[in-house]
Amino acid sequence: MSGLSLFVQQSINGLTLGAMYALLALGFTMVYGIMELINFAHFSVFMVGTFVALYTFEAFGIFGQSTILHGLPLIGVLLAAFIVTMVVCGGIGMSIERFFLRRLRAVKGPASMITTIGISYILSNSVLLFIGGQGFNFPNPIPPVRFHFGQAVMQVEQPLIWVVSAVLMLGLTYFVQATKLGKAMRATAQDPEAARMMGVDVDRVILTSFFLGSALAGAAAVIFGLYYEYTNFYIGFDAGLRAFTAAVLGGIGNVPGAMLGGLLIGIIETMTSQFISTNWAEVVIFSILVIVLVFRPAGLLGRVAPNKS
Amino acid sequence: MLTRRNSIKAAAGVAAAATLGAASSAQAAQTVKIAIDASLTGADAASALRVADGAILALDDANAANEVPGVTFTYEKFDDGTATAGQYDPAQGAINARKMVADPSIVAAVGPQMSGVGKAMSPILSAGHLITITPSSTNPDITNPEFASIYRPADNHAPVYFRTVTTDAYQGPNMANFFAETLKAKKIFILDDSGAYGVGIANAFEGQAKKKGIQVLGHEKLDPKNPDYTAVLTKIKSMQPDSLYYGGVSQAGAKLAKQSYQILPHIHKGGGDGIVGADFLTAGGFPAVEGWYATIAGPHLAGGKGKAIGAFTQRYISRFKLVPDDYAITSYDAAWVIVQAVKKLVAEKKPITRDNIRSALLTITVDTLQGPVSFDANGDIKSHVVSVFQIKRDPSKPLSDDMAQYHYIGAAPQA
Repeated sequence: MSGLSLFVQQSINGLTLGAMYALLALGFTMVYGIMELINFAHFSVFMVGTFVALYTFEAFGIFGQSTILHGLPLIGVLLAAFIVTMVVCGGIGMSIERFFLRRLRAVKGPASMITTIGISYILSNSVLLFIGGQGFNFPNPIPPVRFHFGQAVMQVEQPLIWVVSAVLMLGLTYFVQATKLGKAMRATAQDPEAARMMGVDVDRVILTSFFLGSALAGAAAVIFGLYYEYTNFYIGFDAGLRAFTAAVLGGIGNVPGAMLGGLLIGIIETMTSQFISTNWAEVVIFSILVIVLVFRPAGLLGRVAPNKS
Repeated sequence: MLTRRNSIKAAAGVAAAATLGAASSAQAAQTVKIAIDASLTGADAASALRVADGAILALDDANAANEVPGVTFTYEKFDDGTATAGQYDPAQGAINARKMVADPSIVAAVGPQMSGVGKAMSPILSAGHLITITPSSTNPDITNPEFASIYRPADNHAPVYFRTVTTDAYQGPNMANFFAETLKAKKIFILDDSGAYGVGIANAFEGQAKKKGIQVLGHEKLDPKNPDYTAVLTKIKSMQPDSLYYGGVSQAGAKLAKQSYQILPHIHKGGGDGIVGADFLTAGGFPAVEGWYATIAGPHLAGGKGKAIGAFTQRYISRFKLVPDDYAITSYDAAWVIVQAVKKLVAEKKPITRDNIRSALLTITVDTLQGPVSFDANGDIKSHVVSVFQIKRDPSKPLSDDMAQYHYIGAAPQA
């Protein structure tokens, strides 16, 4: 493999990884932007999403890699998997907010954050208990199409991941910038008290941001499953931690920052494996994070946080 | 309410009182408790269950046949897998070992399943004079006399960790011989999963591969919890190896099989006993695992037509509704060896104590399912057979019947 092909190949790998981190990072950043809360339950919502998607595919009779679909049935099944998973994950996110975090909103200090860590473990251990601890072969009905660029090979899942991520991120940006509820979200992010006085239903805004962030985690879960064809009850922690890092790197609370951070982390991880060694990836990722935060404490694109003055 | 667990404990307590009392004659009815440790939670749960069930069946058989007159065998299961590790967890193994040592009614143990746990348990068991027989953990350091002060510090470095399988000092190198002689490998890349077992077997493989003239292009460690190995596999692809060897268990192994099927579809791929079993097959799935080579550190017996094996397989399936694999058999053997050691003590009218069981193990040769088993002065089994398999889909059998998908090729050339 020539140097150029290798670089192209690793860039394809890195962009794919980065797109998934970016989708996941958006959930952290939206909740933080509005509530100044790091929602660690997000890790496990993503992991539960992979199982929801897995069972959705199996409900259509698709097990493992033995069933390959084409044309409309394929599009239909994929759409169904995305919609079901995003709705279920969004619902879990909303329940976490409604039943646990809303009661703690008035409590100062780390109580809410610790609660999210607790919920994260409850979700992952519930999956361990009720579904099992073994690895699961994730169904994939997409035909094994390959595109060749020189010696670099692109799986059809990879551009699919980029397109889905891009559409969802653009949709989110549009929603936040151009809709009334999006405006209410931005208002709440700037100053929740003032927003409330202006007639914004803050509870609804917060619930919406939990729904959207968790639904994006659901989308990331489907993508993750289709790409790696694998899931397990602990799968959320590694991906989640990197996505969280991506959100901080880009500037927590900042939606474009989360996207940029996700892509950067994906590419850094891939290039570290190529040029140094795969077990150095975490060291390099977190070293870059520390260096960036030392010189730009607000992250690359600056942080957006509620004005709590 | 007296739960099952409580009642076992209560019975064991009575037995302990009996052994400690003056009336510890061989004639008095005695209960002997054996600890069974496997990684029942996490990525290797399916093979762990088969291992634990193998030992349980041996104890049941001994009780049913009244193998040792006046002695009833009971057991307590320990799980060294944890949710946070997602697979075996050495820290949990250490906790289990302390519990075993602290329970005076436990006189011997079967397990652990994994070498990483074995390394944590062995020093604790040594201090507690409690021997264990592992049916599947193959890291050679634990029994190597060079490291005796680490893994068996007590009792003048008396052996405490026995095995009914051979070690990676044979499993890795014999497989390297197989790659060199049978597969004609010239350029190989080696990966491991950073665990005690994976690193050990991969290093042993690497050493012998170099001796056999195979060019080793590199050796990297995978993080078993990381979902993505595409980058390192792309790097490996650019070096154009003809073979890949993986030392490790199924947690990283299944993901590696998936992703290497996409990136490196046409090279020889192989591993050790860590990728033998339903966990690797079902999580990796076909076609990704098709064609992988794997070894076990013992003779291949499962599914055999021999009289003893056939009867064992039938009893096992009817009792547990699971098809036993080779390490279910070595686990049965491990428990059976303990039964025979107890039998010897009873015949010689010696008390059934932890130390006496150890002395008995060092002298006996036991006829087991895998043939005569005896141990050297370090606790290692004297036989060094390593069996090679290749995964080929047998569509007539379910994936959970894992050994039907592993096609026996033969014994690997001895190092």
